[in-house]
Amino acid sequence: MSSKEKLLEVKNLKQHFKTGRHSTVKAVDGVSFDIYKGETFGLVGESGCGKSTTGRTIIRLYDATDGDVKFKGKDVHGKKSKTNLKEFNRKMQMIFQDPYASLNPRMTVKDIISEGLDIHGLVSTDKERTDRVHNLLETVGLNKEHANRYPHEFSGGQRQRIGIARALAVEPEFIIADEPISALDVSIQAQVVNLMKDLQKQHELTYLFIAHDLSMVKYISDRIAVMYFGKIVELADSDELYRNPLHPYTKSLLSAIPLPDPDYERNRTRIVYDPSKHDTSEEPEFREIRPNHWVLCTTKELEAYKQEINN
Amino acid sequence: MENILEVKDLHVTFDTYGGKVQAVRGVNFNLKKGETLAIVGESGSGKSVTTKALMGLIPKPAGKIPKGEIIFEGKDLAKLNDKHMQQIRGRDISMIFQDPMTSLNPTMKVGGQIMEGLIKHQKMNKAKAKDRAIELLDLVGIPNPKERINQYPHQFSGGMRQRVVIAIALACNPKILLADEPTTALDVTIQAQILELMKDIQKKTETSIVFITHDLGVVANVADRVAVMYAGKIVEIGTVDDIFYNPKHPYTWGLLGSMPTVDSKEDELIAIPGTPPDLMKPPKGDAFAARNPYAMKIDTEMEPPLFKVSDTHYAATWLLHEDAPQVEPPAAVKRRMKGFATADASDEKGEES
Repeated sequence: MSSKEKLLEVKNLKQHFKTGRHSTVKAVDGVSFDIYKGETFGLVGESGCGKSTTGRTIIRLYDATDGDVKFKGKDVHGKKSKTNLKEFNRKMQMIFQDPYASLNPRMTVKDIISEGLDIHGLVSTDKERTDRVHNLLETVGLNKEHANRYPHEFSGGQRQRIGIARALAVEPEFIIADEPISALDVSIQAQVVNLMKDLQKQHELTYLFIAHDLSMVKYISDRIAVMYFGKIVELADSDELYRNPLHPYTKSLLSAIPLPDPDYERNRTRIVYDPSKHDTSEEPEFREIRPNHWVLCTTKELEAYKQEINN
Repeated sequence: MENILEVKDLHVTFDTYGGKVQAVRGVNFNLKKGETLAIVGESGSGKSVTTKALMGLIPKPAGKIPKGEIIFEGKDLAKLNDKHMQQIRGRDISMIFQDPMTSLNPTMKVGGQIMEGLIKHQKMNKAKAKDRAIELLDLVGIPNPKERINQYPHQFSGGMRQRVVIAIALACNPKILLADEPTTALDVTIQAQILELMKDIQKKTETSIVFITHDLGVVANVADRVAVMYAGKIVEIGTVDDIFYNPKHPYTWGLLGSMPTVDSKEDELIAIPGTPPDLMKPPKGDAFAARNPYAMKIDTEMEPPLFKVSDTHYAATWLLHEDAPQVEPPAAVKRRMKGFATADASDEKGEES
């Protein structure tokens, strides 16, 4: 992360869904953050907080209601020519949560992985295509005999590896991983996370890692943003966030994770988040408390947080 | 403490088109009164099947219990017929299922679903059962129980639904509560609430709980004793401190090592290589041998018995045999063995500051 080059800029992103004639759900409501080249940016929050919607909007699966997403300085949303869109699609890829639902059961592994290669014209002959697929399978820890099989012949962890191979096929720079390990067993989770970390080193990938499992996110991410009801409430380097959480919601979330340590668990006190305790004299804004540590707060709260962190 | 349930050499098999799956291959454990026994393991390790066997919920005719006993109050549940089992199920032994979205009947009001068991087992009349249902909803922390009993499951959130499922399970004051991943589908903050609720209720009612989960954090939170299952067998069993601070089985090491702790930022997670064995053809010898970096020759030939580590702690690995070489557990596990608690104390401070 030495270069500090901004790969992705998200500014005031909003995604509202109409759920009836007079009601809208504000799934994402004014979210801003930057992702630097080569880092892993973790996005955590509970179900329904809008973290997946944020990821899906960034990759154009939804049209944003408002706000900008810039990838390498270029707008992601809005009208694009076919070639521009193709170029964008190649640079940004996604790994989905459910390895059972995200692979077409009627396609062989080879077809699944090579689909992107064909669309982007990265291979010209069938031999080249086969070689490339075998290569990718080996990169993600499967072997080439697997190429002619169908997804149902694989276990959950193996399927997630196929999903990763598919994302890697077009040599992207940025991968959005939407809860890539939630559906997997503990021992398999570690395999997939280690694989993702290795691939990041080898291919200089940048990740947006969306999850609700805070301990895994802490482990893999350089920076973490905590989302609550469509807004980012706190953003900081991952160590800083765990050591000095400031927003009461972050505190409650951190205090709710059970750790694999009985002594700690016996003495754990859980902090309960009470949204009504916030200062309501003005609209809260996203402010920087100390370098790279941002919290959604009002001016009054800002003072209180500053005091808290200096003590 | 007295044993309320004894499981002896339990075997469960399923006939499938592909062959016979040996899902549970000789499980032994006791459940004491008022304790929480956690069963951990990967999917397919047989933990859910074991509890289903206790409830008499193994689907017949494909599923069979060819061998083994489940002794509860002098009766062998494995051999009871359906009619007798129905009298025990829901009254003496009840179950909380994983998914609160599917384990409630969407076409029935919540109150009716709680009252069902009361009317059947306790022979209550409707008015009495309704009062008790309101009481139960109150006990599990649902506000306005009087109005809520007339609502349908879809009007409840996930966490609230799981509370309803717990209320149903508790309706007849069961002696044993089987909880099959009761919090896996829930968010962490809701999970914390449900776990607190279950511990609270256990204190009041002295129910024994069998808690199935794959989340070791949850285990550390709720369990008195822990059984680690792999490929249809218990490979290590002991008190929660035995398992977390003095684990002996390489599989337990793997499980503990594959969970990131707060201070494990730099080193790589220890992934257990490979996948669990196919229980259609269980391997000869130790089922974990193929994934075990510490495997010895004997592991591929003979199955290890349960070696005694202490009065409460047993593990099935040849490493505990007196002729076995001394091996070093992985670094992450060694950290646990000495002073894991001190390492975490600093983190706890961080959260409170």
